[in-house]
Amino acid sequence: MTSTAQSGAPRGARRIDGWRWAGRIFLAFMLLYTALPMVWMLLTSIKSGFAAMQFPPQWWPSEPTLASYQKLLDPQNSVGQDFLRFFWNSLFVSTVTTILAVAVAVPAAYAFSRFRFPGRKFLFFAVLLRNMFPAVIFLVPLFILMRWLGLVNTHGSLILTYLTFGLPLAIWLLKGFYDNIPFQLEQAARIDGATRFQAFLYIVMPLSVPGIIATAIYSFIGAWNEYIYAATFLTKNEQLTLPVGIQRFFSENTTDFPGLMAASFMMSVPVVVLFLLLQKYFVRALTEGAVKH
Amino acid sequence: MAQVVLKDLVKTYGSIYAAKDVSLTVNDGEFVALVGPSGCGKTTTLNLVAGLIPITSGDIVIGDRVVNDLDPKDRDIAMVFQNYALYPQKTVFQNLAFPLQMRKLGKSEIDTKVREAARVLDITHLLERKPRELSGGQQQRVALGRALVRDPAVFLMDEPLSNLDAKLRVQMRSEIKRFHQDLNATIIYVTHDQLEAVTMADKMAVMNGGLLQQYDSPANVFANPVNMFVASFIGSPAMSLVPLEVASVDGAVALSSAEGWSLPLSDANARKVATAKSRKVVLGARHSTIRLHKQQVPGAVPARVYTVEPTGDITFVQAFLAGAVVNISLPPTAEVAPDDQVWLEFDQERIHLFDGETEMALRAS
Repeated sequence: MTSTAQSGAPRGARRIDGWRWAGRIFLAFMLLYTALPMVWMLLTSIKSGFAAMQFPPQWWPSEPTLASYQKLLDPQNSVGQDFLRFFWNSLFVSTVTTILAVAVAVPAAYAFSRFRFPGRKFLFFAVLLRNMFPAVIFLVPLFILMRWLGLVNTHGSLILTYLTFGLPLAIWLLKGFYDNIPFQLEQAARIDGATRFQAFLYIVMPLSVPGIIATAIYSFIGAWNEYIYAATFLTKNEQLTLPVGIQRFFSENTTDFPGLMAASFMMSVPVVVLFLLLQKYFVRALTEGAVKH
Repeated sequence: MAQVVLKDLVKTYGSIYAAKDVSLTVNDGEFVALVGPSGCGKTTTLNLVAGLIPITSGDIVIGDRVVNDLDPKDRDIAMVFQNYALYPQKTVFQNLAFPLQMRKLGKSEIDTKVREAARVLDITHLLERKPRELSGGQQQRVALGRALVRDPAVFLMDEPLSNLDAKLRVQMRSEIKRFHQDLNATIIYVTHDQLEAVTMADKMAVMNGGLLQQYDSPANVFANPVNMFVASFIGSPAMSLVPLEVASVDGAVALSSAEGWSLPLSDANARKVATAKSRKVVLGARHSTIRLHKQQVPGAVPARVYTVEPTGDITFVQAFLAGAVVNISLPPTAEVAPDDQVWLEFDQERIHLFDGETEMALRAS
């Protein structure tokens, strides 16, 4: 190594360090920005009702308690009954939505990716057309439609609505995945003795598992968090999903902030768990779809 | 193994012919190369035989069955793809086993056959690896293995060597040739590389514009190209083609150029020229059959050197002759420089003559 290189290296390294530190500070700020509400939610949920309302606020609970959680998870208690009911409703609606979305999106995306049929481009555009409008625009028309179908106050109305919003994206996301799987693999499989469907089942499906997982997570989160449609289509207490249920239930007379926060925290658990388990697929899926189109 | 017969095979996309009236017979155990520039219809023809695309009209016979409407899986064929198309989620073993599983063979039988194929191709040590952990040459072998494992009637190969680097390509070329000899396999092999076709195939089918131009042994195609396309496509460097006009010089038949010189023809060549549709005739000659002189000699015609390319054992010279570029090969000791005035002497026994209008080779009637 020459002396020039030696004297040059630290200067360059310092400059890189500067950028690195700027990056770290930025990340720390972003972390604070996103995590602080979550932390505050968690801290409030383990306070007593009185401590939650104190001013100046108690940053750290002096007497942490799990009473709110116990109440929510106790099926004997009326609060617990409602919460568990809402939780079950949300789980049901989100899971059915997800299963149906994947079941429809997989063959649809495959067809858009592999088959050349008349109207293919138009139909694919039509599928994406929905995404050009804010979801709330469809609130009234869909409500009228659901009433006409006799589906108001059923979970079916929500499942259908969430599919309307989730499917286009699911199809688009999955099509990107199928586009990236070489067609020759299927040709090879068909020559190796598979029917077209077997080639799809044995070769293409296993390769598209990351895409299917990503699509499923996306559908699930969308349905799990949705508020406006659930608030409009459902009026009976026992049918409410978590977002609406929590809001209505805990702010009916006086707001039980620790209870509300505990419920909110538990509502985020399934999403966080799903995300942690499958995040690598999710990130990959989003980038893969992006590169392709 | 089996023979393959194509009868008046046609594939159209809208009004475009991808393959037009292709007829040829691949005998049992023969290695046939479909060769031509990209877009000539060779891959289309192979895919038609494989059943990957439906035919528009004509017949495909494999063995004694007309397979026109059969699925690929029912045609008893195996195919090696340009990008190998190995199943990325499966190990090498599972890749080789897949065609056997699809045919519902027993587990122990699959194991025996996979290991036998792996032994033949020397990939036994790779059986537990995934395709992405293999080198290009190893992937190529696995692709061959997957084709060979179930003993098909015909092997179809779609440019199997074009993704390999130059050195490996030469090595795999001899391995595939060996593979053909050992198995006595019927092989249809698509390539755009005429050298691969010439070195490996028993017969070559030269295609252009969806049409089969010539179907013969490489030696015959090389020696007697039926038209100007085949003449210029087969052989490297390409055959030189010089457009000239038929003239009568001192009562003898000759080819004359706009530059003023003329080349008297032998009696045999004069008879060929007599069959031409018009006065326009194209003179064709391979680089090794042209002699280059630095002084004027009787029968030689004047040309000007354009480039000189020494390759070590041969020096290639390009020269302008009557507005066309002519390739000549010389020993490395030859002393020529660009812009030199030279004289070219053609071997009357070995020149080719083509009809300037139809571009077909002229034959003595």
